[in-house]
This record gives sequence, C-alpha cells and structure tokens, in this order.
Amino acid sequence: MTSTPFIIGMRDAFFDALYEIARTDRNVIIISADNGAPSLDKFAQTLPNQYFTVGIAEQQMIGMAAGMAFEGKKVYTYAIAPFITTRVLEQQKLDVCSMNLPIVNLGIGAGYAYDIMGPSHHTVEDISIMRALPGMKIYCPADAICSRALVDLSYADPSPQYIRFDRAGIPNIYAGRPVDFTPGLVKTREGRDMYIVATGIMVHQALKVSDELKRDGLEVGVIDVCRIKPFPVEWLFEYLEEVPWVVTLEEHLLAGGLGGIVAEIFVDSGVTTPLLRIGQEDRFVFTYGGRSVIWKKYGLDVPSVVEKIQTWMSSRSGGVEFAKRAAVR
Amino acid sequence: MIAACREIRRNILRISKASGHGHIPTCFSVVEMLYGVYQTIRHDPANPSWEGRDISILSKGHASLGLYCVLAHFGYFDVEKVHSYGAFGSDFGCHPDRLKVPGVEVSTGSLGHGIGVGVGMALGLKLKKSDRRVLVLIGDGESNEGTVWESVMVASNLDLDNFTILFDNNRSQERCLPIPNPVERFRSFGCDSIEVDGHDVEALKEALSRRASGVKVIVANTIKGYGCRTLAENIFAWHRRSPGEAEFQKLMDELDAETV
Repeated sequence: MTSTPFIIGMRDAFFDALYEIARTDRNVIIISADNGAPSLDKFAQTLPNQYFTVGIAEQQMIGMAAGMAFEGKKVYTYAIAPFITTRVLEQQKLDVCSMNLPIVNLGIGAGYAYDIMGPSHHTVEDISIMRALPGMKIYCPADAICSRALVDLSYADPSPQYIRFDRAGIPNIYAGRPVDFTPGLVKTREGRDMYIVATGIMVHQALKVSDELKRDGLEVGVIDVCRIKPFPVEWLFEYLEEVPWVVTLEEHLLAGGLGGIVAEIFVDSGVTTPLLRIGQEDRFVFTYGGRSVIWKKYGLDVPSVVEKIQTWMSSRSGGVEFAKRAAVR
Repeated sequence: MIAACREIRRNILRISKASGHGHIPTCFSVVEMLYGVYQTIRHDPANPSWEGRDISILSKGHASLGLYCVLAHFGYFDVEKVHSYGAFGSDFGCHPDRLKVPGVEVSTGSLGHGIGVGVGMALGLKLKKSDRRVLVLIGDGESNEGTVWESVMVASNLDLDNFTILFDNNRSQERCLPIPNPVERFRSFGCDSIEVDGHDVEALKEALSRRASGVKVIVANTIKGYGCRTLAENIFAWHRRSPGEAEFQKLMDELDAETV
C-alpha cells in the first residue's frame, strides 16, 4: 500500500477532531514523546497549556500522564506504536491500568506500517500484549471515518485505552454511509458462505480477497473489528450465525492476536464452525522493499490469502463439495 | 532519636513479628524522613482527599510498613489495624494500594514509577495555578532504574518548583551499582540539590520548608536499619525478614538503647 497525500490519515483525522474538543475542554491534554504530526501543530501553537512534549522519554510520558490524570486531566499520550506499548509495558500495567486512570494511548504505525524500519518499529505483537492488561480497551480503526468516531468514544470513556493507527493514508471504506462504530464491530460487507474477520488495514485486504473469491462463486462477507477489547462477542455471533466458514486476517502475530481471540471465543462458546487464522508466524521481519513486499513474502498479500483460503476449504472434510455447491448456486 | 520515631519503629517491629512480613531495615531508614514530611506538608488525616493538601508519594513502595506506621502516628487510622499487614482481608499490603489505605496517593512497588507519576501531578497542579506541592521519596537503590533519571530530566526541564525529591541515601546499592555523589548528580540535572542528615527531623523539616529555585532535591544521608545495630550491620540478611521471639526482644532492647 502506498500512501496517498490527498487522503487524510486516520491519525490526523483523530487529532483534528480532538482539537475541537480540546478548545472547549481545557482538561484535555496531549503528551507526545517527541513525535510530531501536522495536525498537532495547532495544539502547540494555540493550546500551549494542553500540549506537552517530554522528549524521547516514553516511560516518563506514561507516568506523567497518570499523575496528570490524578489532577483531573483527560490525557492522550502519543508515540510510535511500539514505544507506547512494549517499551512502556510496565507503566501501562501499573501506572495506568492498576490505578484505572482515564488515559488514551495513541500509537501510530500499527503492523508493518513502518515497513523498512525493521522489528524495532514493526508493531505486530501489541494486540496480544496490551489485551493482557486488565481494564485496557483496544481500538484499531480501518479508516479515517472510524478514527474520527473514536474521538468521541474515547473522550466519553474514563477507561484506560489504546488506539493503534495505521501510518498510511488509507482510502475511506465508510465514506458516504452512516456507520455506528459503538458496537465495536462493523459488517463491512454482507456474506453468505464465509466471513473474513479483520482489523485495521487488513479490512481493506479482506474486501479484495472477497472480490477474488467471488470468481469461485463464493459470497464472502467482511467484518471489521474496530474494538478488539472488550471484544464485541454478541455481535460477532449474530453476524456469523449462518455462515459455514470463518477466516480471520490480521497484520499481527498469530500468537494471541485477532485470530487467537476469535478462536478463544469459539472454544469457550462451543462454536464448531471451521476457523482459519491468517497472520504472521513466530518470527521477526528483516525484509526490506516495502510493506507489499513483506505481505507477499509472508503470505499476507491478496493472492496468498486467496490461495490459503482455497486450500483450506478443499482440505476440510466436505470442503470441496461445499465449494462446488456454492459455485453452482 | 525522637520519641515519636522510636515508637514508630517499635510498631514496625511488632507488626513485622506478628505478621511474619515486612522489609524492616528499609523502613527504619525512612522513618524520620516520612515523619518530617507529614509534620511539614499541608494535610488532613481526617479528610485524606482534602483538595488543599500537598501530595506525598512513597516511590520505594517496599517500605510500606514504615509508611503505614507513620500514617497511623499522624492519625490516618489506628495502628492496631496495621497488625493485619499482609493477611487475608487486610487493607495493608506489602506494597501500598491507594484505593485501600487512606493517605496513600499512588500505588507503588515496582521501582522508578512513583517519581514519574509525581512529576505529572506537579505539572497538573501548576496548570491549575495551585500552590500545592508534590514530594516523592525515592531510594538510592531505586535510582538504579533509568526511569528515575527520565523523570528528573523532565521535571527539571519543566522547571517544576513545586516538586521535591527526597533521596534516601542509605547506600543499599554499594554492593552492586552505587550512586556516588548524589548531590552533584542531581545538580548536574538542573536541580536545587542539598544534603542533610536523614535521621535529624529538625534538619529535614528545615530542608523541606526551604524555598528552592526549580526542582528541589534533598539528599538524606541515612543508615539502613537505623536504630538497631543488628539490622544496620546485617542489612542483606534482614532485607526482607521478620524477627522471631528472641530476636524481637533483642531488637526492641537495641532500639531502646539506640545502639546505632
């Protein structure tokens, strides 16, 4: 995916909307660990008592956010995603979650967004790690429209939160139609034979995979999980009730990620619908050349995902027969 | 040693013996510091969340038993309650929980956290144009943690003149990673740093009351286990250990005779 300068990114959409709230609520504070954004400049210029940069000191940023929350502030912290999650994990655990403070952590660059930067900047373990922190809510918007909606949700919610943004300017999926993001899950495309459950940028990939599988005669729906924790279990069941196949797709390690969450829910609930989890294996990525190169090499590009799904369906008992039936329908 | 601090130490020994828990030597090194703090700051034990109070944070949370006995002395709760220390149903854990213990502002335990939270509180109070102060007690061993120095840099850069660091210089990390010349170290980070005898309550109170330019640091030279020779001479053996009956009597006698 190449970034398009004309598309406003989900981060900037978020900050633009947050700015409007911050202008009227002086208790809204943003702390940045030396990370800038075009949309942050106006905070620095016009709301200097609500915008702080601590320097490259992320651990102090989280502790400081906790202290300011004690003094009645609604604090948003901002850094590149790995440095607001794994680098400051103990501060998130103790300073934020154990004291249950209203802090919203904004991480930019989910997944392989910082493609050529290597494992230091890749963020493909944050969902599994952050969801292990009691009380921490996790959001992952798929476009700037969802991101904009998360401003109001995060502002109204006194819980500890983590929002993982993509870095790229991604086209808006939800332009021009009313979408309610409050359930935490959106049926982005109706399905009959299968649903692909995805989050973030992979929602876009899932839609393309759905287009491809249509050639096989399959009606593949897409579910966008924009709130990963607490997981919208009831909604998921409502949407998945009738389909015989479920696939999860994530730009994240399979260990404990979106697919792992869905698998846990299936097992805990006695759901036996065949489930295929597609994501990254247990590895670091030192492959350069761009995000699409990484996707292709590790099986997250559209053709690889399509092939995995086809192979999986035909290898399952009855899978071939099902596919044939679906094809003639 | 003043009578109040001797009695606080007696309670620490009694409760540690009864519960079988507690880090006695580190508690003994901070008794005068905490006593001096609660004699100096604005606070209301009958109303621990009083809006006008100054904030005191024990960042080295393993000295919780010392803090509980000091808070009890100032009337936050009856010291008898602290005898449940570490037991099922007790509010008094081996690390302090702000949701359970009146007077505990921040839950601490992992080292190098309380100071960072304190910086945020001091900044929050500044933004409110409040004259309330924030004091954080940290250990020299705790200052092996890099986060302490992140916090000091940021506090100094923000010029938080309502923020005071009490540095418990009990030299507990001589064996491993000492912090030599702490006064100069803090000064080089831009702090207004002075040194006092950490067992001299009057000197501590004077240092706490003194106006400082920017972030104030009080390096309090202390003895781990102060008050009992047996503890002070064997701090590693006693780091987290409770006395049996005979040991308890010996420590109480040493405390009465003030053998350190």
